[in-house]
Amino acid sequence: MQDELSFVTARLLTTVRLLTWIVAIALASGWVPASAVEQVQVTDPYIELRTGPGRGYPIFYVAERNEWIEIRLRHTDWFLVRTAKGKEGWVKREQLETTLTQIGTKTTFRDILLDDYLRRRLEFGSAYGHFKSEPMLKVWMSYNLTDTLAVEATGGQVQGVFSGTDLWHLNLMVQPWPDWRLAPFFGLGFGKLTNIPNASLVGAITSDAKLADATIGMRFHLTDRFIARLDYTQYVAYIADNRTDQYRAITIGLGFFF
Amino acid sequence: MHNPGPWKVLLVAALFVGPMAYAADQQPAGEQVIQPQLDRRDVKVLHIPSNDFEFGLFTGDYNTEYFGVDLVGGARLGYHITEDFFAEAVYGDTRVTDEVFRQILPGGVFRNVKERLSYYELSAGINVLPGELFFWKHTARPCALYLIAGLGSTKFLDKRHLTANAGFGVRVWLANWAALQVDMRDHIFSLDVLGQQRSTQNLEFSGGVTFFF
Repeated sequence: MQDELSFVTARLLTTVRLLTWIVAIALASGWVPASAVEQVQVTDPYIELRTGPGRGYPIFYVAERNEWIEIRLRHTDWFLVRTAKGKEGWVKREQLETTLTQIGTKTTFRDILLDDYLRRRLEFGSAYGHFKSEPMLKVWMSYNLTDTLAVEATGGQVQGVFSGTDLWHLNLMVQPWPDWRLAPFFGLGFGKLTNIPNASLVGAITSDAKLADATIGMRFHLTDRFIARLDYTQYVAYIADNRTDQYRAITIGLGFFF
Repeated sequence: MHNPGPWKVLLVAALFVGPMAYAADQQPAGEQVIQPQLDRRDVKVLHIPSNDFEFGLFTGDYNTEYFGVDLVGGARLGYHITEDFFAEAVYGDTRVTDEVFRQILPGGVFRNVKERLSYYELSAGINVLPGELFFWKHTARPCALYLIAGLGSTKFLDKRHLTANAGFGVRVWLANWAALQVDMRDHIFSLDVLGQQRSTQNLEFSGGVTFFF
């Protein structure tokens, strides 16, 4: 009883601590609206204010040319604006592209262009495929050091019939032609693998092994912020001093970049 | 073999260096080389806060095939990539009981009467049917139906199962930073607890609050 009580208390404490962190991160990342509001002047004949951030929401107000508006918030490609008369609504980026700032110069709203793809830094994605003929799921995050060089962290899970495998690895990736829409890449890395046998197997033990990997693949810039990726990876696991195992994995995935 | 005399080398060197030295002499120190014809333009980069990320907590019912319905709780983290598409990672946790089987099988199917089932999933969603939801006469809030599907893993009875999920939900914005979310999801994974490996459909119905940041 005492044990159970202390267990519950410990769990509660962990939850409270986690929630505190979440609130702290949310506050730090600008959840609370900034006090300095950006003001711009409308140059289109008119701009349409919608009730929500999307083309499907109704237009309820129109602000005319030369009117001053405050831009308060962005959600994807939509901006929450407030007119001088106090009307608040969502405007699509295209309508704000030519607006002027207080000192009379153009603002810098623009589309996600090919430039942004070429200058991308962070990329996230998840992929599904086969690892030694067993289903594999992985997530990756990569950071571009230069145009052609990137570091990538991957975490994966393999769910086999007799055992499950967790693995992670860090790779150095080379993309010799970063400006191609369909661009090949190569990578080398190291990591760790943990094999957990299913509980129904008798006498099986969990095993850890160090891992090295070589990757070759293709990245395709779909549109906007999206990319598709096909990877082929060869893993070498150092099971014991005099034994290594090799696995092949092929995965296909979707990602997006900042 | 013909060998150029040192005076020839000197002559060639002088020919190259001469004009350069002359050009350097022409330019008085401190004067601008190019007179700009254009005024310098100030480009202002706007700093606008964005809220493309979401964090949500939810609770509801999770129906494990063969074993019945139990309370589920979980958290979700999402990123809205465009107005149409979003990515979501979700973690859920429930308890599953084999009480029904213990009526006829005294030993039961599980080791304990209640066993933990947890899952994580990575999904991609698309917003469809955007519109407004009316609360009484004068209050309208933006809302949207979304379709979602993805892959993940379910941990049940110390074993992980590859899980596919598909479903739909409704999101209603209460403010620019908070929304109510109702979600109906089917989690499909294969289970061999009752002796035979079979694909199971596990339906989840949940509701929760989502915060944008």
